[in-house]
Amino acid sequence: MPATNVATATVPAASDRIAASGVSRRSFVGLAGAAAAAGLLARLGISPLDATFAGAAESGGTFTYAIAGDPGSNVNPVTTNDRYGLMTLKLLFNQLFTYRADGITWYLADGYDESDDHKEFTFHLHEGVTWSDGEPFTADDVVFTYQTIQSIPTADAYSSLNYGDDGKVEVEAVDDLTVKFTFPFVNAAALEKLQGPDGVWIFPRHVYEGVTDFENNDVNARPVGTGPYTLADYQAGSYVQFAANKDYFKGAPQTDGIVFQIVTNENTGMQAIQTGQVDAWIGTAAQIQQMDIQGNGLTVTPYSENRVAYLTFNAQRVTDQRVRQALWYALDKKAIADAAALSDEYYELEYTFLPTTSEFYNPDAVQKYERDVQKATQLLADAGQTSPTFRVAYTGSDSLQTNALIVAQEQAAEAGITLELVGLESAALSQAQRDASSDYDITFGGYIMGIDPDSYADEFTSGSPSNYGHLDDPELDDLFTQGRQETDHDKRAEIYDKVQARIQDNAAFYPLYSNKRLLVTTARVSGIEDAKLIPIYTFEDYDKLRVQG
Amino acid sequence: MAKYIARRLLIAIPLLLLISIIVFLLMRAAPYDAIDAMTTPKMSEETIAAIKAQYGYDQPVWVQYFAWLGGLLQGNFGYSIVTKSSIAEQLAVRIPNTILLVLPSYLVAYVTAIVLGLVAGSHRGSRLDHVIDGIASVLIAVPSFWLAMLLIFVFGYLLRALPIVGMQTVGDGSFVDVLRHYILPFVTLTIAFLPDNLRYVRSSTITQITQDYVMVQEAFGAKRAEIMFRHVCRNVLGPVLTRLGMALPMLVTGAIITETIFSWPGVGPYFMTAIKGMDYPIVMAILILSSTLVIIGNLLADVLNALADPRIRQGGAR
Repeated sequence: MPATNVATATVPAASDRIAASGVSRRSFVGLAGAAAAAGLLARLGISPLDATFAGAAESGGTFTYAIAGDPGSNVNPVTTNDRYGLMTLKLLFNQLFTYRADGITWYLADGYDESDDHKEFTFHLHEGVTWSDGEPFTADDVVFTYQTIQSIPTADAYSSLNYGDDGKVEVEAVDDLTVKFTFPFVNAAALEKLQGPDGVWIFPRHVYEGVTDFENNDVNARPVGTGPYTLADYQAGSYVQFAANKDYFKGAPQTDGIVFQIVTNENTGMQAIQTGQVDAWIGTAAQIQQMDIQGNGLTVTPYSENRVAYLTFNAQRVTDQRVRQALWYALDKKAIADAAALSDEYYELEYTFLPTTSEFYNPDAVQKYERDVQKATQLLADAGQTSPTFRVAYTGSDSLQTNALIVAQEQAAEAGITLELVGLESAALSQAQRDASSDYDITFGGYIMGIDPDSYADEFTSGSPSNYGHLDDPELDDLFTQGRQETDHDKRAEIYDKVQARIQDNAAFYPLYSNKRLLVTTARVSGIEDAKLIPIYTFEDYDKLRVQG
Repeated sequence: MAKYIARRLLIAIPLLLLISIIVFLLMRAAPYDAIDAMTTPKMSEETIAAIKAQYGYDQPVWVQYFAWLGGLLQGNFGYSIVTKSSIAEQLAVRIPNTILLVLPSYLVAYVTAIVLGLVAGSHRGSRLDHVIDGIASVLIAVPSFWLAMLLIFVFGYLLRALPIVGMQTVGDGSFVDVLRHYILPFVTLTIAFLPDNLRYVRSSTITQITQDYVMVQEAFGAKRAEIMFRHVCRNVLGPVLTRLGMALPMLVTGAIITETIFSWPGVGPYFMTAIKGMDYPIVMAILILSSTLVIIGNLLADVLNALADPRIRQGGAR
């Protein structure tokens, strides 16, 4: 019981303070009672004022990360796509590579060759990788993984590898360490498609062969992967514990273990990080303002998930482009973002559908709709709708969205526009967004998409289920198709300039900001820069995090 | 008696069916479902349709209901739509955790309530009675989540005396470690359960004490303690015993908020997450379980009452 060592010293310290402060007799009795109780607690092994806490007192470096939900026992490399499930996969499995805004990180592959017709991609696999059960990793496993995913429509990466009537990506093993992917057509976003929307996790053929139900089977409880950690223990509703894979092909992890501690209540999470019961936690700006960051030796690291928050008209309901533009002219984006994120360190303003980190992001190509109330009222007058009312659906429990909309509501009122705010459950909102005939004129959304601008095509092309603005613009559809097929970088940039401009001109979609995620860590934690902060998973390489024992 | 119990249990079956139909229909009457809750903008239409089909959402509601009922009759609670985990497996872990928390705190609250209630009721109008009744009145108005946060702030944050998250430190399953995690949720729940029972015992004690038989006993020169323990207590405890039976469903759903705040790995957080995510198989399983316990609890209450009171016992046996 290492947590007891400070206990005996604390009780006299408490009575010292009573003597010094000269409190009245009556409250002294109360405090003496508390001190006696503290003595009792100490005998139980409970130590008041004990700074080194249970989680922290563990031997030699376990990184404990508070997560807000239970990933469940059925995390699997095929259909899992929730945040905590994906974080679990990140520790246990590897992709061939990860492709992010700042480039490629190689994992099970070391590099690739592209054919002259831009359809064939030949990957060279890393040599000497073994699965956590000791079996060697080969090209066979890669082919098996991709072909399995292609055969399961509920698989997360299914649609990235199958193109319906246009064919599908063919996968073949050239030799033990070489895999060739052949696309049915030229696809400028090919690399991104090969990693799927949330990663294609290579899983072992010898374990999964014969498994038909990937969600409910015996394999998920004892996963075999190539990742930096192995699953040590899962306690439903409590935690997921991982042990370092000392034979990890990129080198043994810096920590002995990682724990995802499930903390369901956010206020409890706030206290858990301040008392050091967890080493890392994600907070909101409002929560961080309430906390004693310095006093508790905490560090706040804001990082971008490239999550673009936006308002979008349902273009099928509000059909007059001038009316839509009028609202955007009535709004002051910066004031809205300030209200939502509380500090300008915690967000970046967005002016196009692409996040600012995209290499094709070009705010100069688009109409920015800087605030101009006169212009807004003029546009409304031209359209013959001087005081329109719009119903706005948003996630009611999201304080950022609520704060943003309250400011937007005030601003819109100055131009004679009434915004009627309707807070919904997130599932209801998601349903309202997809339904073109819903009762809402505007929905508040946010997306974390891929790196290549083509991964955003589904948000805006006609007929796509995630085209929440319900745009129906054949020319825009055509531009996206051109962008997908063009492999020359400069020509692509030109095409996507046009796409960005066209979407802003259309004025259904209004990008607001990308708010940052705020990672709070205790003084024990270091190596965050090496581990690299990335969207969804928090860290690219959990194995590079260090904690003081 | 056995016949009576059997009859009551038989009546419970159509009642449970009715409850399950109502809950199922209510869940499905919502304009959105679990798949909507987990759909991301990255999913293609084909994938969404395939997931909906996998969980039977493409079938008519009554087909879905009978599929669910068929599974239940085979002892299969089904799988979570969101996390895909087996519900029976999860409940097998979580229900014992909840019982571990609820049962001792309920019993402690129950016994304390009886003692304090009898004391207060028998000294009606005294200073002691005012204090006890006053405390009960204050506590009944204290929401358990607020109390939990207060305890966390004082003992977890200010004093740093007790852990506030979960049931045990990872890798340390020792008794002392669990006990340290146990204290705060236990205290919260005990305080939450206490005032209701306390006020009940107090008011029935007062009712009994003003009865004629007490006056008669006094007239015969019986001692106060004698009257309390031999007569008043008996009459007060009958209905209080009934309350014990009715508290049975608490064993599953008695600590939803407290568990969620302390991340106690019981039924509470599981149920809350399922409701938010429209994960209907989980909601159905827990509601069926707790309504079964309500029915059994009521039966138990009647049986306990009959055992405690010979007059009812004879009536029941007929």
